[in-house]
Amino acid sequence: MSSPYAELHCLSNFSFQRGASSAQELFERAHQHGYSALAITDEATLAGIVRAWQAAQAAGLKLIVGSEVQIDQGPRLVLLVENLTGYQHLCSLLTRARRRAKKGDYQLLAEDLDETTDGLLALWLPDDDQNEAHGRWLAERFTQRLWLAVELHRGPDDARRLDQLQGLAARLGLPCVASGDVHMHARGRRALQDTITAIRHHCTVMDAGHRLFANGERHLRSLPVLAAIYPAALLTETLRIAKRCHFDLGQLRYQYPHEVVPSGHSPASWLRELTQRGMRWRWPDGVSDKVTEQVENELQLIAEKGYDSYFLTVQDIVEFARRQQILCQGRGSAANSAVCYALGITEINPVHSNMLFERFISRERDEPPDIDVDFEHERREEVIQYVFRRYGRERAALTAVANTYHAAGALRDVARALGLPGEQIDQLARCCGRWRRTLPDAERLAEAGFDANNPALHRILTLAGELIGFPRHLSQHPGGFVISEAPLHTLVPVENASMAERTVIQWDKDDLDAVGLLKVDILALGMLSALRRCFDLLRHYRNLDLSLASIPADDKPTYEMISRADTVGVFQIESRAQMAMLPRLRPQNFYDLVIEVSIVRPGPIQGDMVHPYLRRRNGEEPVVYPSEELKQVFERTLGVPLFQEQVMALAIVAAGYTPGEADQLRRSMAAWKRHGGLEPHEQRLTDGMLERGYSREFAARIFEQIKGFGSYGFPESHAASFALLTYASCWLKCHEPAAFTCALINSWPMGFYSPDQLLQDARRHGIETRPVDVEHSDWDCTLEPARTEQMAIRLGLRQIKGFSEPEAQRIVAARELQPFADVADLVQRAELGARSRSLLADSGALRALAGGRFRARWAVAGVEPQLALFSGQSAPREAPAAIPAPSVVEDMQADYASVGTTFGPHPLSLLRTELDSRRCRSFRDLLQLEPDSPVVVAGLVVGRQRPGTATGVTFVTLEDEFGMINVVVWRDLAERQRQALVGSQLLLVKGRFEARDGVRHVIARQLHDLTELLTGLTIRSRDFH
Amino acid sequence: MRWACILFPQLALDAVLRRRDDPQAPLVLLSGPLQRRVLQAVNPSAQALGLRRGQTLTVARALVEHFDCEEYQPQQVEHWQQFLAAWGYRFSSHVSLDFPRALLLEVESSLSLFGPWPRFEQRLREELQALGFQHRIVLAPNALAARILANVADGLAVDEAQLPQRLGSLPISRCGFAPEVASAFAGMGLRRLEQVHALPRASVAKRFSRAVLEHIDRLHGHLPQALDCYRPPDHFHGRIEFNFDVESSTALLFPLRRLTADLASFLAGRDCGVQRFLLLLEHRGGTATEVRVGLLSAEREPEMLFELARGRLEPVQLVAPVQALSLQAQDLPRFVPAAAELFTERPQQSLGWEQLRERLRARLGDEAVGGIAAQADHRPERAWSELGQGTRVSGAQVPRPGWLLSDPQPLSDFFPRVLAGPERIESGWWDGADVRRDYYLIETADGRRAWVFHPAGKPDQFWVHGWFA
Repeated sequence: MSSPYAELHCLSNFSFQRGASSAQELFERAHQHGYSALAITDEATLAGIVRAWQAAQAAGLKLIVGSEVQIDQGPRLVLLVENLTGYQHLCSLLTRARRRAKKGDYQLLAEDLDETTDGLLALWLPDDDQNEAHGRWLAERFTQRLWLAVELHRGPDDARRLDQLQGLAARLGLPCVASGDVHMHARGRRALQDTITAIRHHCTVMDAGHRLFANGERHLRSLPVLAAIYPAALLTETLRIAKRCHFDLGQLRYQYPHEVVPSGHSPASWLRELTQRGMRWRWPDGVSDKVTEQVENELQLIAEKGYDSYFLTVQDIVEFARRQQILCQGRGSAANSAVCYALGITEINPVHSNMLFERFISRERDEPPDIDVDFEHERREEVIQYVFRRYGRERAALTAVANTYHAAGALRDVARALGLPGEQIDQLARCCGRWRRTLPDAERLAEAGFDANNPALHRILTLAGELIGFPRHLSQHPGGFVISEAPLHTLVPVENASMAERTVIQWDKDDLDAVGLLKVDILALGMLSALRRCFDLLRHYRNLDLSLASIPADDKPTYEMISRADTVGVFQIESRAQMAMLPRLRPQNFYDLVIEVSIVRPGPIQGDMVHPYLRRRNGEEPVVYPSEELKQVFERTLGVPLFQEQVMALAIVAAGYTPGEADQLRRSMAAWKRHGGLEPHEQRLTDGMLERGYSREFAARIFEQIKGFGSYGFPESHAASFALLTYASCWLKCHEPAAFTCALINSWPMGFYSPDQLLQDARRHGIETRPVDVEHSDWDCTLEPARTEQMAIRLGLRQIKGFSEPEAQRIVAARELQPFADVADLVQRAELGARSRSLLADSGALRALAGGRFRARWAVAGVEPQLALFSGQSAPREAPAAIPAPSVVEDMQADYASVGTTFGPHPLSLLRTELDSRRCRSFRDLLQLEPDSPVVVAGLVVGRQRPGTATGVTFVTLEDEFGMINVVVWRDLAERQRQALVGSQLLLVKGRFEARDGVRHVIARQLHDLTELLTGLTIRSRDFH
Repeated sequence: MRWACILFPQLALDAVLRRRDDPQAPLVLLSGPLQRRVLQAVNPSAQALGLRRGQTLTVARALVEHFDCEEYQPQQVEHWQQFLAAWGYRFSSHVSLDFPRALLLEVESSLSLFGPWPRFEQRLREELQALGFQHRIVLAPNALAARILANVADGLAVDEAQLPQRLGSLPISRCGFAPEVASAFAGMGLRRLEQVHALPRASVAKRFSRAVLEHIDRLHGHLPQALDCYRPPDHFHGRIEFNFDVESSTALLFPLRRLTADLASFLAGRDCGVQRFLLLLEHRGGTATEVRVGLLSAEREPEMLFELARGRLEPVQLVAPVQALSLQAQDLPRFVPAAAELFTERPQQSLGWEQLRERLRARLGDEAVGGIAAQADHRPERAWSELGQGTRVSGAQVPRPGWLLSDPQPLSDFFPRVLAGPERIESGWWDGADVRRDYYLIETADGRRAWVFHPAGKPDQFWVHGWFA
């Protein structure tokens, strides 16, 4: 008869590189063994405690919250949470220890325990010396709350150790308790535990020596085994302690910050007030009954769920951005509500969009509303600092991301720990796709020269397989903020991020939902910077006052431009895959854009969904619905599921899910690639659909599509917000291309194209572009009057590689005072250093003052510092020097090297005669060419892409003086001509020309590297990614 | 004066290639941090595949499926420069290493000894060829001009009269200017040295530091070039690292031949011989097996050195795989050591430890006497190792028998008294020798204390693993 037991000292894999089992595994095993409770006591962290809590609920076993800590130059102990007060004390204790150490580390000082630790129980883990002083010191601080933990692991002489520890406890008057120092759920994890130990020590397992445990006893041992090791009294004591600990994470209560509600108002009344003000602003001519009713419904629902403060918090941040003229745009399920439109969180007008949005917050499911707000990428930091200022660092912190092992990382770490040479580690890791969660198969390994049956490799693969999905370290979420009324460290420990002045809570965003904490995502988006700049330019140069909301809707020329795939530089639909889709889809209205944005994504393609939609839209396939109910769900996408919301609706309508269950399905969809967990839904969906009269085949197809959605499936609410930016950027490109291009270049780096490509596109649209010039250029690119309707773009000094903004500003300021007389005048008045002088000369910006770049370089080098005494006197005349004039090619090369683009001839036009002799056709020739004819083309390689979705195909983009040519390289050719494909800057392609629905490309049959023709010319190429 | 510059365009690569079995196989040397490995040097067959210096390893792998990689080791380059200087010292008493990867020899005074220049040059080339070093040789009236011309030429011999024209046609980028100076000239459209030379000196002086004009003057021999003279070292140290584990001493013969040949070449350069030297067979973790080679008289003939060393090396039993072989010769007969021991007044009965060890060895054989080192491993049979010289690892703080049996024996005592245990040891899964055992300290019926175990989960069979004193 074995006595019952509660394990009080157990690490999960959130004790990074120590714990070798997940909380789920631990709880399942503890439950099987019949344990009475299980404490999760990860070292100085509560990062894994939410997951442990969920695992405990799933297993139906009690969780005790705790943490193992090492006091600096003091004893090691386990702290166990007795009640809510104890939990808060533990959080602030860990926060203190974490905040004073560098990221990922902690330092707990003895004096930290001088403050109250009520509600915390302590287990003392004596070291080998069994230092009595430690015990006495602890006993003073944990009166009646301290135990001596006896941990026996079949060491050299357990009986003696037990005697000694009991003697020690007796001398100090402490009770003894058994505990297990558990590092894994089962003995089978011994090899993994050894391996992660070696990883932690940055050595191999062979060299880890005594840093490894001598045996695998640190697992959850069965009750009979424990009974054979420990006296029954020590085991019984565990139950006494477990009984005292009655804290549950469910007792945590989150409170919204009070600041967002002025006194005299309740959150609900203030939200109503702000919404009404916003309605008067949005609809100055009066609000329709339909909108009033929608707003009323939404407000009621918000009040009912108690989310008023959340909307007010977001509104407060957006209001700040608006005051600072930082462009922003909300997205997410709740963002596209009428209330959010009135509050200015989104620009999507609920009246104009004829979309059927799902209810933005579900009454049934207890899911917090979800609003992400994108800000201008260069100014997001101002918003973040505002949040810290407004709520204080105590009450605002970023969410953590628990980075987990993917296949390549796991293989890399394990292989290193098992002593594989560095070269082979790289090769092995390369066998895994990026971010993949599955190990490479034997075939892929064999291709790379590995034999999967080799015992050493087999060990590596097995261990790496176990390690995949384990958390590896905490990092900061890009913009997820948690803001609370009480200091955050009463809810969760807070630690330092790698960025200075940033603090991060120990919980992942997924954990927040489970505990009911609300988070606001403050994200960065380059296109918003570009749009704001474009609006500024239009106001300044064209006297046009536009905003996201006031851009004319349903503009025909804009949609015509989009349908031509003339979309270089615009938001979302500028990539090659998008451009190939546009002429086929031919978007005619806003909702078509929403679909376009969602349709070209890895998920839908894998799920075999894009083509059915296109076929149906172009009338090549009848639009049919499996049932009348599903017609409502799928009508707006012609019967093809495209959005997450539709999949949820489908589960409700066709398979009898409740809204809450449908939300579970949505979460599983996002996570199944990482964690699996879709299997129960497969059965459930199929059964539900069969019951309601759908065919088995239809159910199977739907399930495949759901899997295809994976983590890429796009929510319609996000797509709508994105589509709004897409439309705005397209409208600007269509009607104000000069200002739009100028704004894009000034916001670079962002988007898909380089400034060179954007400028070439502008020139092709008849816009004049002017080189950088100290007499005219500002730091940013600017607009100048031109003879054409569109203004000309003047390149800014920012385009000169390596030039600094302060010096550019000095040039502009000096020039405004008085034009420059000569180079010496410029250098002196703008106080230019030697480096920036050379940069200016090399860029050609001194053309007007000193002639060509070679002469300019000679001239600026000759400017000597002038003493005040001699100012105004010109320097003595120099003997003439023989400085050559640059050739056309030299100018072109210098242009590319300095400003990344050229205003002289395109390199291909210099090579055109040479290319003609090789029978190369230009981009212009292709417009006239019959489809399916053989063709030879050549161009600078400006893009190489191997999308994960198009198996084995490499898309190459060639640029010549007239435009961009798309080349498709199939896998076998890519393998045969790898070197030409990867190594060429100038590439000649022989192949077949294809054209359909306005999409033109060349299917390559043969590649030739012509880079030699270009020697010296450097073109930045977008490599595989 | 006439200066010969011998430039070694791929010294780091040659240092690696000369110890490889197949120098024709594509090989690159890598440098840079683990996350961004860069090709530091590329041999011709790798170049033929499209690999280039400065490429990242990622790009190289995308280009070529199979090629060999080794680590670029700057200290190796330094080592071989010293070696080559010692070699060059044979041909000139005025040797300089002031220019990296190049040897400057003043040859005017050596011409009488080694014949007129083409023949002298031929000899240098032949010897370098045999040693396995790619090279370029240029002869010029001053050291700097020789070095700079070697950037663009090989086999060139320039006299005073030809020098200005030769220098004038040099591309600016190859003239040895500091990079920022060279790029400034390029930015002014100046491509050849003669264009710079033609500029008004005052205008150049106004725009560039004094060093620029001085450099040009030095190239033309208008200013003297101060060079440090090489001083030969008084000991030899050669080392070859393997990128695989060598398990048998016969496989060490090829590298041994290299090392003894290098030693012979070094000795010839210093005009001395060697009377004893030391071979070190280096194992993992910094331990090494020593093999001493002694000669009856000073020698430097490569074949004889090799045969003698081989005679000592072949019988050696390797205790662990060898990762590197090195040869050290401190004792070069120019300084014959005083035979101090002949006159020491040590009392007869007290024997020095080293002498005792040597006497035991002589009586019992080399293998019978060895050192013991503790190793950090939980498995008892791996916690010790017999090593001539081992690094000290403090043993685990656990009781272990002084006499550990190499093969456990079945326990024959039926009624032992258990004093302690079970101690469970589970470790070693990584090398295929995983153990899972429960150990006990027992006292046998006849009062001896034994350390016994049974495999975990099989308590019926006990084995004696060791005896306590």
